[in-house]
Formats: sequence, C-alpha cells, structure tokens
Amino acid sequence: MKRRYFLKFIGAGGIGTGLGMLFGQAIKPPGAKLIPYLIPPEDVIPGLANYYASLCTQCPAGCGVLVKIMDGRAKKVEGNPLHPVSGGKLCVRGQAGLQALYNPDRVQGPMRRKGARGSTSFEPISWEEAIGEVTTRLNDLSAKGESDKLYFLTPELGGHLGKLADDFMAGYGSSNTIKYDLFDYRNLRYANRASMGIKAIPHYDIENTKYLLSFGADFASTWLSPVGMSRGYGEMRQGGHTGRGKFVQVEPRLSLTAANADEWVPAKPGTEAVLALAIAKEIVDSGHYKGSDLKTWKKLLSPFGLSYASEVTDVDKKRIRHIAKEFMSTRPSLAVGGEGISGYSNGVSGLVAVNILNHVAGNLGIKGGVQANSNDLFGGNDADTVGAGIQTLINAAKESKVGLLFHYNNNPAFTTPGSAKAADALKNVPFIVSFSSFLDETTALSDIILPSHTSFEDWGDDFTNPAPGFQVATIMQPVVSSVYKTRSLGDIFIGIGKAVGGTAKAKMPNDTFATHLKASWKRLYAKDKGMSASSFTFETFWRETLARGGWWNEKSAKKRKLSVSTRSVARHVSKEPAKFEGESSKYPLYLLPYAQAGHLDGRGANIPWLQELPDPITSVVWDSWVEINPKTAKRLGVKMGDMAEIESPFGKVLSPVYVYEGIRPDTVAIPIGQVHKLYGRYAEKRGANPLEILPSTVDTRTEVYALNSTRVRIAKVSRPGDLVKMDVYTDELGRGIVQTVPTGGQFKKSSHH
Amino acid sequence: MENISYNEVNEDVVRTMTHTTWKYWVALVTCAVMATVLWGGAWAYQIYVGQGVTGLNTPTFWGIYLANFVFWIGISHSGTLLSAILFITATPWRRSIYRSAEAITFFSVLTAALFIFVHMGRPWNFYWTMPYPTTRQLWVNFTSPIMFDVFAISTYMTSSVIFLYFGSIPDLAAVRDRVTGWRKPIYTYLALGWRGTEAEWHWLSKSYTFFAVFIIPLAVSVHSIVSWDFALSMVPGLNKTIFAPYFVVGAIFSGTAAIVTLMVILRKSLKFEKYITMMHFDKLCLLLLVMSLLWSYINVVEVFSDWYANTSVENETLRYRMFMPPHSYMYWLMIITNSIMPLLFIFKKLRTSIFVCVVVSIGINVGMWIERYLIVATTLPRKYLPNMWHGYTPSLIEISITVGSFFFFAMLFLIFVKVWPSVSIYEVKEDIGIPMRKGFKRH
Amino acid sequence: MSGILTKLKDKLQSYRVPGYRTKFEYKWTMVVDLDRCNGCEACVVACYAENNLPVVGKRDCDISRRFSWIRIERYIEGEYPDVKVKFIPIMCQHCDAAPCELGCPVYATYHNQDGLNVQVYNRCVGTFTCATYCTYDVRRFNWFTYKWDSPLEQQLNPDVTVREMGVMEKCTFCIQRIRVAKDTAKDEGRKVTDGDVQTACMQSCPTDAITFGDLNDPNSKVSKLAKSPRRYRLLEELNTDPSVIYLKRVMDEKKGHGSSHG
Repeated sequence: MKRRYFLKFIGAGGIGTGLGMLFGQAIKPPGAKLIPYLIPPEDVIPGLANYYASLCTQCPAGCGVLVKIMDGRAKKVEGNPLHPVSGGKLCVRGQAGLQALYNPDRVQGPMRRKGARGSTSFEPISWEEAIGEVTTRLNDLSAKGESDKLYFLTPELGGHLGKLADDFMAGYGSSNTIKYDLFDYRNLRYANRASMGIKAIPHYDIENTKYLLSFGADFASTWLSPVGMSRGYGEMRQGGHTGRGKFVQVEPRLSLTAANADEWVPAKPGTEAVLALAIAKEIVDSGHYKGSDLKTWKKLLSPFGLSYASEVTDVDKKRIRHIAKEFMSTRPSLAVGGEGISGYSNGVSGLVAVNILNHVAGNLGIKGGVQANSNDLFGGNDADTVGAGIQTLINAAKESKVGLLFHYNNNPAFTTPGSAKAADALKNVPFIVSFSSFLDETTALSDIILPSHTSFEDWGDDFTNPAPGFQVATIMQPVVSSVYKTRSLGDIFIGIGKAVGGTAKAKMPNDTFATHLKASWKRLYAKDKGMSASSFTFETFWRETLARGGWWNEKSAKKRKLSVSTRSVARHVSKEPAKFEGESSKYPLYLLPYAQAGHLDGRGANIPWLQELPDPITSVVWDSWVEINPKTAKRLGVKMGDMAEIESPFGKVLSPVYVYEGIRPDTVAIPIGQVHKLYGRYAEKRGANPLEILPSTVDTRTEVYALNSTRVRIAKVSRPGDLVKMDVYTDELGRGIVQTVPTGGQFKKSSHH
Repeated sequence: MENISYNEVNEDVVRTMTHTTWKYWVALVTCAVMATVLWGGAWAYQIYVGQGVTGLNTPTFWGIYLANFVFWIGISHSGTLLSAILFITATPWRRSIYRSAEAITFFSVLTAALFIFVHMGRPWNFYWTMPYPTTRQLWVNFTSPIMFDVFAISTYMTSSVIFLYFGSIPDLAAVRDRVTGWRKPIYTYLALGWRGTEAEWHWLSKSYTFFAVFIIPLAVSVHSIVSWDFALSMVPGLNKTIFAPYFVVGAIFSGTAAIVTLMVILRKSLKFEKYITMMHFDKLCLLLLVMSLLWSYINVVEVFSDWYANTSVENETLRYRMFMPPHSYMYWLMIITNSIMPLLFIFKKLRTSIFVCVVVSIGINVGMWIERYLIVATTLPRKYLPNMWHGYTPSLIEISITVGSFFFFAMLFLIFVKVWPSVSIYEVKEDIGIPMRKGFKRH
Repeated sequence: MSGILTKLKDKLQSYRVPGYRTKFEYKWTMVVDLDRCNGCEACVVACYAENNLPVVGKRDCDISRRFSWIRIERYIEGEYPDVKVKFIPIMCQHCDAAPCELGCPVYATYHNQDGLNVQVYNRCVGTFTCATYCTYDVRRFNWFTYKWDSPLEQQLNPDVTVREMGVMEKCTFCIQRIRVAKDTAKDEGRKVTDGDVQTACMQSCPTDAITFGDLNDPNSKVSKLAKSPRRYRLLEELNTDPSVIYLKRVMDEKKGHGSSHG
C-alpha cells in the first residue's frame, strides 16, 4: 500500500507522474501467483466460478448449500435450490460459515500442550507424532483394562461420520459417547417419542397451515430449521395456494419471530405449558374433539380450567378462550413448542402439552399440521436416541471415572451453566484430546489438539433434521483444499483406529474417510430401491448425488397417522410449576437467556460478519445486553446503555441495558453467545454470558439444562456502558416508512404470485 | 483627517512595510508554525489515513469542513462589499480600509477553497472537477451545485485578485519610489511602470469602476451558489428557497464584522489612528445593525415556515437544532450574538466605543460560524429515515484543521501588510484634499 | 427566437443518452414484500459476502459507519403488551430521478441504460455530495482503506472490486450478476429472461420477500407484483421515482385482537 501512496504523492505533487509509474513498474514483484494457461489446474478457469453442492454444518438443521469456488477459493455459500429444506435460501450463520473456514484464529495444525492447563500455551507437532501420542494413551488405558474410561464428547455427528465414531468407540471398548449441544432438541425428541412414539423430529408444516400457534419457538432466527421454517412462513403469509395464515406467538419476550406474529401473548415465564393445556381443555370441552377417548382427555385436562390458567399465566380468560376458538375452528392449525417452552425444568411436559394441543385440535398427521418423519434409510439413525447427557460426563469426570476424553467441536466450558462447573470437572480428566478447529474455552483445557477440517474441507453426510416429511440425506464434499494443516475427523478416527489395532482396527476397513463414505453409500445404494432405481450404476448415482447435493425422494413421503394417547402422556401432565431458583423477594426478575440470531450458542461469535450483524431486534453489534421493560428500568433507575449488574443466587454478570417494550416487566432477557474468554480475536472479552449465573437445573428426564431456571436482581453500576446499537431511533414519527394494511381486509393475500 | 500632509501618508504606509518589530516576527512565525502543524500536519495525516479520522458518519457526511468553507466564503464578502459597493455609492469613508478588506476577500476565498480539498475523500484527484478534454471523454456534471461552486469560486477569486491589484497600482508605484535594496526591483515590476499620467489615471479609474460593478453581482452569486450546495438537496432543513438571500445576508453580516475586528487590530498595531477614525466605526456599526436585523428577520422566517409547515421532517430538524443540547446551546448563543448584541449599536455612544465594537463584531463572527456549523450539523443527522439518524461530533483532527485555518489566514494577512501597501495611499490623499485646520467634514 | 431555443434544446438533448430516464433497455426493479419479510437479515450477510463489504469494528459502528449496503430498519411502536415491531429492508432505491446523480460534480454516479443508478469508483473524488443528497441514507463511504485479517481476504469475490479509501459506494443491484446474465443472453442471442438475474439478497431471502426482475417485461414476476394493491414506494412524496417497490405489511396497527382480548 505504501508504494501506492508514494505514487499518489508523486503524481499530486506534479514532480512527474511518468517517472513515478516507471518506478512503480520497476519495483513490481514478479507474478508469483499466475495461473498457467497451458496446463491449468483442474477445475480452475480464471474468472469463472464453479458451484459445488455441499452441506451446511453451522447448526444441526442440515441445509443443502452451494459453494461458489473461484480460483480454488470459496467465495460464497448459497442455498442449494434443489435441496428440499434450504431451497436455494440460507440464513445468516450458514452464509457466514465461510469466515469460519478462512478464520485467522483457527488452530493451524496439531499441537501439544506446553504450559499449565488452560494457559493456551501449545507447541506445534507433526500429525504422526500427534496420532502416536493419542495411540499410546489409548493403549495405556486399554492395557489397564479401563477401555470404558474413554469418553467422546461431541455434538450430534450426522450420517456416516457418526457411525464411524460409534464404530471406533465400540471397537475400542467404550460406550461413552456423550452428545451435547446447548440447543440439541433432546427435550423435543423425548417428548415426541413419549407422546407420539416417533423418533425423528416431525415436520411442522408451517407453509400450509392457516393458524400457527407458537410457544416460544424462535424459528425465524434459531429454532430447529430456521431456513426451512422461514420459507414456510413466507408461503404461509403470502403464498398463492393458501389464504394468509394467522400467527400467534406465546412467550415472555417479543423475539424476532414474535415480532412477525399477528398477536403476541406474553404469558408468565414457565406457565406456557399450563396455557397450552388450558387451550386444549377449551377445545375438548367445546366438543371439537371427537375421539373415543374424550372422557379420559376431559379427566386428564380437568385441572387446567380457565380461571386457574388465567391466574397462573397472566393471560386474560377471554383471550385464552378466543385463541382456543380460533385454533380449533381454523383448519389446518398448528402448534409448535420451541426453546421458550422446553427451556424450563419441566420442559418435556411443556412440549408434551403442545403435542396434546395438536392432537385434540386434530392437527397430527395432516397437511398444514405435524407430519411424521422417518429415518429408515440409515437404519434408524442414532440421531433418534436420547442417550446420556453432559451431566453424566461431568459427574464421571468429577469422580475421576474419565481416563481419556475425546472432545470435538462443542464447547461445554462455555455452553454449560456456570454452576455445573464443567471446566473444573474437565480439569480432573488426566488426558484430553481435542479435535476442534478453534482454540475455545474447552479446547484450551486439552493436552493435545488434532484440529479437524471445517465443513468446506471435509467429506461427510447428514440427515436433514427435521426432514420435510420425507428423507433427505445431504452430502458434504471438500470444496477447497484445506487452508491449514488440519485433517478430516473421519481420517483422524481411522488413523487412530488403525494405530490402536485390535477390534478398533477391524472396524476401520477403509483407508480414508472419503472411501469409507463412498463405500457406505454403495451399501445404501444396494439396499434402497429408490436409489438403485434412480441410476444405472452406483458410479453414476454417486456422481449425480454429489452434483445434486444429496439424496432425497419426495415421493417417498408417507402419510403416517399420529396420535397422542392419554396413557402415554399422563405422567407428563402435571400442575407442578417450572422451578426457578432464588426467592422472589430477593430476586424479583425472571432471567431468560436466549439464542442470539448470529451466534446461536456462541459458535458464531468468532465470525466478524456475525459480530457486526445487528441483532434483528435490538440492532446491537459486537456485544450482548440485558433487555428490560421500560417500567422495570424506571423502577431500577437504569437507562438505555447503562451498565447493570445481573445477580442470581449463583453469581453475577455485568451487561449494558437495552430498554425494550417487548418484554414482560417481571422478566429480563440476555442473549447467549458473547463473552468468550478464548475463541479468537473477534469473540474474546466482549459482552456478558448469562450461562455463568445459571443453576445446573436439568429436566431429569433428558438431562437438558433448563435455561430459564433462575430469578435475578438487577442493580445499576456506575461504570459507563459501551452499548453500540445501529438503530438510535426506532420511532417512525408518522412518516409512513413501513406502511401497513389491516388484516382481514381486501389485501388478505397478494393476488399475483 | 486633519493635519496630514501627502508626504506623511506616504511615509506612514511605507513605514509599515519596511520597519519591522520583533513582535511582528513572533506573530508571523507563530502563525506559520501553527498553520503548518495544525492544518498541514493534520491534513497530511488525514490524507494518509483517510477521511475516517474525522467525526463524519453515515448520515452526516458533511461536517465542520463545510461549515468552515461557508464561513470563509462569508468573510470574503467584506472586501467586495466595502470596496465595490461603497466605491460605486461614492462613500468616502471606505478609503482607508478597503485595501485590507480586499486582501481579506482574497485570503478568505483561498482558505475556503482549500477547505473544499480538505473535505474531499480523494483530494489528489481534485483536477477531475475541472472540465478539461481527456482521451477518456470524461466530462463534468454541470447540474451539480458543486460544479457551480468550482466556477463561481474560481471566478470570484480571480476577480478579487485583479480588483485588489488594480486598485493598488499607484500605491505600488509610490512604494517603488520610496524603497531601496532588494525591494526595489519587485515593486518596480509590480507597479507596471506606473507614472501617474492623466491617461493612466483615466484608465485605472475606468477599469476599477468596471470591476467594482462586475464584482458585486459576482459576490452575490457566489454566496447564492454556495447556498445551493445545500438548498438543492432534499434534506429537511437544507431544502429551503430562502437559503440564497439568507447566505448572502449572512455573508455580508459576517464580512462586515470581520472588517470591524480587523480595523481595530490594524489601528492598534500599525498606529493608524489617523486613518481609521471613530467615524469609520460608527458607519460600519450602523451597517452591522442593519444586517443584523435583516439576518434576524430571515432567521425568524425560516423557523416560522418550518413550524407552520408542521411536518415531521421539519419539526424534528427544528427540535434538534433549537432544543437538543449541545446544538441548542450553540443555537441560542448564536441568537444572542447575532440578533441581540448588535442591537447595542442603536446607540451612537456604543457604536463609537472600540471595546463594544470589538466584543460585538467578534461575537457576530462566532455566531456566524455557529450558524454555518449548525446548518450542516443539525440537518444531516435528522434526515428522512429515523433509523439512520446519527449525530456528529467533530474529531480532534477536524478541530485542529479548523483552528489551523485561522492561523493560516492570519499568516497570509501578516505577510500581506509587509509586502503590500495596506492602506490606499492615493485615495487617502483624495480624502485629505487641501489640508484643513478643523475636523474634516464632507457633508 | 423560439427557433433558436428549440435548436439549442435539441442540441443539448442530443448530448444525452437516447431515452435517458424514460426508455430503458431493461428496467431492473426490486419488489420487497414486507408481509413476507421477517427481519432475519440473511440478505445483509449475503450482501457482505457478494460485494466484499468490509467489517469496520465496534468503534466505527458506534459512529454509524457500518458498511451494509442493505440494512433492515426496525420501528418499534406501542407499549407493553401492545408492542409492534416492523421491519423494512432498505437498499439503494435506484431512483429514476435520483438526487445523488444531481449532486455528483464528476458523473461518478449516473443512470445507466438499464435504469440502474451506478457508481463509478474510479471516477469518485469523494465530495460526499451524493451521500448527503440521498434521501434514503444508503450510500457508504470508504473512510479508510479497509483490511481483511489474513486469510479472510481469500473469500473476496473477484467479480467485485475492493474499494480503496476515499470513494463512495452503495448497493449496485448486484450489477456483476446482471452483466453475467446479459452476456450469457447475448451469447445465446436472446434477451435476459425473468429469473436470469438474482441479486445476492434476493437469493438468500428465506421467506422470498425480495423479488428482482425487469419491469419492462410485462410477464415478469416483478411486473405482476408491482400491480399489487399493497404496492407503495419509500418516501414517494419526494418524487425520487425509486425502482424499489414495497408491498405493505398486513397488520393491525391500531389496537387489534391483541388488546381486545388481552
């Protein structure tokens, strides 16, 4: 750059532009990166882009993407237009995945810990050394006969990678694969299995519904499958084939999704389940439900009368009755339950209540309602199971039952409640092997890091979860050569497995994960009639599948009857309220930590695009905040931007105040995802992490941490706040900027579409 | 002017050019160093790093630089007003001050023109704003008020230099005849061989009158055009039909005030009590009073029309300017200095008090600077989409350049009084006529 | 006399591009359905990726120098519990009577034959006039020469230039994609058809709120949507004649069902 300025000054000074340019030519470096035209590298045509179909792994939804490649570099991630879920669309996190690939703070190669644990002092080693070290540790452990002391902590691993990891663990002799993600829908899976007997997450058909009743499901930004659901939302509103659907959102805080709702019902935190059951009771009592088990339903729901529900939930009786009336009379209608109902100590009960509501209104198994999915293709994938949770690992680590820990891509030191003390427990583990690509809080505790590829450099496959009513398997393929000296996680497992020997080696028949994946698909091809019918040979099928981005067959959608029986749900229906720590006299406010659109559980915090993306509601950038109702703020004497101390019985955090009309006066909300102690230059040391002050309350049925489980008190601190929000003024001042037309008028839906 | 001989005038004026005290050198060096550091240094830094060193931001793309630009253009109106208008109206008291006033015109236009380059994102491409033929067939956009500016200001600057120079020729000749050494050839060259013949006086008077007539509409148009930079936008608070007269009146107002300040300084520092008398202050203060009333009237009209329109966009701009600190403080200070303080000049006693003149005239220029600043700093942050509203605070670099511009201007003027006859020798002599015993009275 | 004037008028008009401001080869138009838009900001990130927009950091965000060419504006009205949050994506409106084009002294911003308001980075001298005149605040200025922490720069789109310090920029309606579509169409000897051009924001929008196309083509999707009774244009009273058409959001602004039952 300096030379350019030098030239500019020469030119501007009029000393002689010609001379300057001559000089400029003379010192120009030789073209080191020219692409030879004579024998060009394969697939590289200068100036022309290639698009490769792949899979997005920024959240568990499993959208199919197209990656634009020019000159060997990934330039843009777009939705795969053929893919049934993403349909050519993609959310903020999916598109920003590129900046994870090219992140300057990635772990650039295998490293061994040098200093004390957590000191982040590592020395680079070779891959052979790294694999050798892990192998030695494994062999030591098995020699002691303590193979089952190997634990593998991972988020849900999709498709064949998950199977390979399971094979390795089984081969080595350990059954301790702990799956953990802060938002991993274990409650939802459990509740669905308990009430409807289905394993895979069903398809919530927002697109075709005419009345959507959502209990805290923030599907516009984070819940379940934001892209797929948002596509459905757009169609529900203005799609040509159905009237404009109505949308009611129940949650204590007006989230991005609630902002789009026609009605917002701010029920008291923790009482959403009661509201759902009260609506269900209204429906049953009104005679809308015609099932043979009407009597048992009536009995089961009898405690949830209107006056009781109204008193508990802080929602007007008339309003509950009105919602019930609309919900049953509008056909089809659909109720969904998201983090706002499952994030309590009785989260499963809440989700079961939503299922009951769908059942009595007749929304199960219909178009525009809840449709069952199956994962038969992969033979009942492990995604369905709800195994041991993170609390099991923490307890085991505390009791020194963990001899060796494999850790991949989730960050429990950050994403578990502070009082769970996950980091302390992990320090008890003698040896930790991390496969993460970023030096986050948990990876910093490890003894050796074997960094794995990002999704752009690796092979893989995954189910789309939830699927759109039929099976969707999306394939991930390496679209760029690896940026750093990282390896595919599959290859790492194969390498370790082969080095360890014994059963583990026998379980690794292929040399690389790429061949393993292809071989596994060959078996699927032979087994599945739809696949074998689609192409003449496996090779053509494989090529086509890679080009298309995966395998799906819309015709395979089977209509399956779904129902909820009183017998199966009875034990989940109770008046027992959600548990909140802290006495209401000392801690008067409910704390509502929620997933922020850009950062989800904090994994997006190291991506500059997402840090600079204004929060959809508050428009805050590069920070987190605490949302407080203006009435409460006035009482506490805090203003927008002031720093406040949020104190729960388990600790306190500092956060700037965002005064927001869209939150209950007895509730405050803090987004999750900021204040990383370690996670690269973009993520570190900004904002507040509400998880630090949470109790380790879990829903005992699933070991899922209840995010909304404590009360807090708030005090102003004198430190000046540094809240940066992009919208300084949110008042339209009658300038007609966002113009509206009333519902129910002649503009119900666009006549041309 | 009593008891002055022609020779005395000559001596007095040439003395200011040849006899230099150490105070002058201190002042000049201070100004030069400050201008270089505060303006030159800060500007160099800004060019190297980028406009990001300013406090400018997305809705407020124009800030203190534009305010300074308009301010200096306004100051420049002193010279033309005093010199040309008073010349045409044959007002005798202009004679002892018009030379300095014309110099102010030139220097302030120069300073203003430089501010255009300071505020540019890529000042090294400044020549692209000139319509010159290029092989790339690029042309300039004549619908742009910025383009009007380029022409108006360059024309104005050229005319004012010629005006200044023409009026100085006989004096340069007088200086030529009195200086020795290295100065001699310079003034010989500058005097263009002036001998003082009848024909020379005739042609000088003709051309001078022509320029005096020519430069008045030019001065009016320059400031109208400057106002169109703002008025042709659709920004609420800027899109005003009254802006052209508003700016012209403001310019004359501030220019006159600048002259009053300058007169006090010249009078003291060059010991010109003989030439700059209380009568001059009296007349100029009367002019200030008139301009102040006119300015206040336009200001009231502007506020009233906004208030009467009662649209959200106008209301918000008014509210932001008049009632929201810190701009409201500046606004009401401006009202005090520009509308209320000049009312003191109703009284003749105050008009002829040097102290009051200094305080009020400096006050007016502070107020006028504030006016220009508020024009950009309170309208752009309140455009149409409230979501994008964002206030503006000048950065240290911007303040440094602003302060530096005053030193730069002072430096130019200090150099001027040394190299140029700062009082018109021949016209003062016209004033003296036949020396009289008692006070000079024309009327 | 009038003859001379007519001649002069003809002469002056002959300097203009034929059909300037009235007749365009294509009339690129964007329709944004506010009833579909849910404010998720996928378009914003898509724009960052496609157009090499720099990240400026917290300090510069604080003084409103964020670079997004497209932004979601949000307006919050009402008091708890009757709160309404309204979203509107705002990008360059590509006005046919653009105030910015009037202001630029060097024709760095002008109207091209497709009805696009284009910005020539190389020609820009940075007088800020266009941005000041813009009534939609969509212009962004390169306050510095922005840097990408290596290797983030490997993501930069080679189809779009990386702008240097001191130039103004704004949404281009993804002109690079329009060029590709036009070139392809020309190679195939046809006109650009509906759907050939997708802007980055439209492509990513999960709710399909953004539609882009040629208004001259009566069968294009935008032509049909532009006839919607919900149609309006932003700040239409300013007569800037924008090329972006919004479709009104369907919602009860006054106390609706929400309060009558709550």
